[in-house]
Amino acid sequence: MHDSPTIYVFGLSVDLSNVLMIVVASVIVFVLAVIGTRKLSVENPGKLQNFMEWIVEFVSNLIASTMDMKKGKAFIMLGITLIMYIFVANMLGLPFAITTIHEEPFELFGTEIISQEYLNELEAKKGYAEAHILWWKSPTASLGPTMALALLVITLSHYLGITRNTKHYFKHYFQPSPLFFPIHVIEQASKLLTIGMRLFGNIFAGEMLIAVILMASYWGIVPLMAWQGFSVFIGAIQAFVFTILTMVYIGQSITHEENHG
Amino acid sequence: MHIDFGSFFIQIAAFILLLLLLKKYAFGPLFEVMEKRRQHVLSEISTAEENRQEAASLLKEQEESLQKSRNEAYQIIEQAKQTSVRQAEEIVDNAKAEVARLKEDALKDIENERSKAAETLRAQVGAMSIMIAAKIIEQNLNEKEQKKLVDKYLKEVGGKL
Repeated sequence: MHDSPTIYVFGLSVDLSNVLMIVVASVIVFVLAVIGTRKLSVENPGKLQNFMEWIVEFVSNLIASTMDMKKGKAFIMLGITLIMYIFVANMLGLPFAITTIHEEPFELFGTEIISQEYLNELEAKKGYAEAHILWWKSPTASLGPTMALALLVITLSHYLGITRNTKHYFKHYFQPSPLFFPIHVIEQASKLLTIGMRLFGNIFAGEMLIAVILMASYWGIVPLMAWQGFSVFIGAIQAFVFTILTMVYIGQSITHEENHG
Repeated sequence: MHIDFGSFFIQIAAFILLLLLLKKYAFGPLFEVMEKRRQHVLSEISTAEENRQEAASLLKEQEESLQKSRNEAYQIIEQAKQTSVRQAEEIVDNAKAEVARLKEDALKDIENERSKAAETLRAQVGAMSIMIAAKIIEQNLNEKEQKKLVDKYLKEVGGKL
C-alpha cells in the first residue's frame, strides 16, 4: 500500500520516515516536559507543573507496585521517559499521515527508492503507475524502534541482575533443576520478543486499520472516529504496559526472591 | 517482515539522549522542587506539632495561674472578713468600756456633790445651834418659857432646813 523511504548506509537499511518520526516524537516529549517544568514553584505549582508531577507520581506508584521503592527510585526517570515517549509516539500516527505520491522514479541520498521496474510492476497490477511514500506515522508502528526499546530495557534488566544480584541471577537459570535451563533461556528470549512485538503489533494494526477504513471514503467517517478514539486508548494502554513490564523485569532481576519460577 | 536496523540504532541513541536531556532540563529540577516541597511539608508538620505543644503548656500554665489567683482572692476575702469581725468586736468593747467609765464618773460626781451638800448642811446646823444657844442665854427665861423658846427656835431652824 505504502512504501517507506529506505536508504542504505554502510549496508544498514535506514528508514528515513522512522528517523524523522523518532526525532519528532523525541522533540515533542522534550518540549512538552520543558514547558511543563518551566516555572517551578514549591508552594504554588501551576497546572502544567501539577500535570508533570502527576506523571512522576504515576510512574513512582507503578514502580512501587513492582519492586522496593528504595531500589526503584533510580528507575523513575527511565519509566517517565518510556511512558511519555511511547505514548507520544503512539499518538503521532493517529490524526493524519503524510505521504508523497511519485509517478516517476524517486531517488534520495543516492539511493533509488522508487525504481522504474517497481512503477512498471504497479502499472501492470493496478493499471496506473503511482507509488506512495509514507513519511508521517507512528515510529512505534515499525519493528525497528520498538525492538530497539525492547532490547534496551531487557539488556538493562539483565545488566542490573548480573551486577547487583549476581548470585541469584545465575542461580535462577538452574532452578528448580538444571533441566529447566533451556526453558529459562527461552523465557528470556520471549520476554524480549513479546515486549517489542506487542507494542509494534498494536500500533501497526491500528494504523493499518485506519488506512483500510479510509478506503471506504464517506462511509468510513463514523468507524474512523470510533477507531481513532479506541486507538488513543490502545496507545495509552500500550505505553503503560511497556513501562510496567520493564519495571517488572527489572524488579525480577534485582530482587532476591526464593521461589522465583 | 524485516527489522530496519538503521532506525533500530537511531532509536536507541535517541532514547538515551532523550532520557538524559529530560533528566537534565525537565525532571531533574522538578524532582528537586518535589523534594523541597516534601521537606517543607515535613518541617511545617513538625512546627505545627511544636506550636500545639507550646499552646497546650501555655494553657496549662494559665489555668494554674488562674487557680492560684482564685485562691489568693479567696484568702484575701477571708482575711477581710476576719478583720472586720475583730474590728467590730473591738469597737463594741471600746464602746462598752467608755460607757462604764462614764457611768463611774457620773457616780463619783454624784457622791462628791452629796458629800459636799452634807458638809454644808453640817456647817449650817452648827452655826444655827450656836445662834439658838445665844438666844436662849440672852433671855434668861424660866423653864416653861425656856421650853417654849427652844421649841420656837427649833421650829424656826427646822423650817429653814
